[in-house]
Amino acid sequence: MAILYKNLRISFVNSVPLITLYYLSISEIDTHFSNMFEILSFNLQIIIIYYWMLKNSSVLGNGHIFFAGIINDVVMGLPLGISSISYLTVSFVASYIRQVTVNISLFTDWFTFLLAIFFSNLVYLILITNFSDLQISYVDISYNAFFTFLFYPFIWAVFNFYKKIMFLRADD
Amino acid sequence: MSSSRDDFGIAIRSALLKKGARQKFSLVFLLIIATIIFLLDSYQFKAIQFTKVIINDGIYRLTNISTAPLKLLPQINDKIKETTFAISENKKLKAEIQNFKNKEFQVEFLKNQNDSLRRILDSDAKIKGESILAKVLLDKDSPYLKSIIINRGSKSGIIKGMPVVDGSYLVGKIVEVNYLSSRVLLLNDLNSRIPITFGENSIQAILSGKGKSKPMLTYLPDLYEPYGNLTVFTSGKDGVFPPGIPVGKTEMDELDVKVNLFSDPNQLSFVTVQLINMNKDNF
Repeated sequence: MAILYKNLRISFVNSVPLITLYYLSISEIDTHFSNMFEILSFNLQIIIIYYWMLKNSSVLGNGHIFFAGIINDVVMGLPLGISSISYLTVSFVASYIRQVTVNISLFTDWFTFLLAIFFSNLVYLILITNFSDLQISYVDISYNAFFTFLFYPFIWAVFNFYKKIMFLRADD
Repeated sequence: MSSSRDDFGIAIRSALLKKGARQKFSLVFLLIIATIIFLLDSYQFKAIQFTKVIINDGIYRLTNISTAPLKLLPQINDKIKETTFAISENKKLKAEIQNFKNKEFQVEFLKNQNDSLRRILDSDAKIKGESILAKVLLDKDSPYLKSIIINRGSKSGIIKGMPVVDGSYLVGKIVEVNYLSSRVLLLNDLNSRIPITFGENSIQAILSGKGKSKPMLTYLPDLYEPYGNLTVFTSGKDGVFPPGIPVGKTEMDELDVKVNLFSDPNQLSFVTVQLINMNKDNF
């Protein structure tokens, strides 16, 4: 019984980032605060994916990232698959950075996160512009990307703290 | 030089193909699947459209359930405020009630008169025709789309393009219909274009959403000198919306004419869909 309880606790604690990713995709909670400050919005899903794929890819998993993207598309009314591609692009950049980086610090993470945001938004814009009738405001998306980049260190600190209470194996 | 190119290639290949012990799918496999789904959806492939309708209904319901506990928080907060307010008000009211007792009959008479006048006003403002009340399931704000999800779909007779009103005021139109739910594109969305009319001379223009809270009037007459505080109505020129649905009041913003919407798009709980006869050629 004690072992079962311990295993359940470990599973739950380790699944919190994944649950958060799914919950942000499926729920009405958003990180778009136009009611308080017109230009303030940021993409927490991208931060979660980038951080955990960089630190320990077993926490999220590419399959879950793909499904979270599909759910996000349905909820947001975007063409199906577009968020998945964008999220997987972030995951790809994080995996690449993990392969080539030895010393990881907040500043290397933050700087390389800029590449992830750039490629993710680039893919988004190319697909929406060429394959969809949706009109998008480039200014709003730029603000969104800017604030996502700006808030990364704060979320990084929170996740770093949380990582200490997780029961993680060394990443493979 | 050659060695660094090799390292780059190895890192890219590893990031794309390596699954790891606990990963079931490689990145490249999922990217291909996502791209295929995206292309099938973009080119309106029938099988994926049908699957999407089923997935949409399921996810919208799940979204509604998952956010239900959070919707209770503001209500609890309101209840606490109301209770505190009620206790303090109760003390004041007890003192004042004696004064009001003398005017009771007069107040009752005025109240009845007010109610009957209000009923007359309400009945005049209502839009004629068959309509259906719908609950807003989801109003997730996004930098990409300003839209809401309602709990009525093709089962209730909803068709793409139908106007959606809040009370008597236009809030948007149906752009996506599932079996049990639909998506409403709000007037302030960047993709929203509604023909409207306003002013004594019945000036015609297009109400264009700008992604902000107040949409803008475009295609105004060349020599028109704009001014504010005029009521804007749908013109019905597109053959989609019935004419005369109130939309908002004009407001000057330097040289632009913006429209202050009667119905706040961020505060919708229930809306009414006008079940008008829709012609598919309109879309």
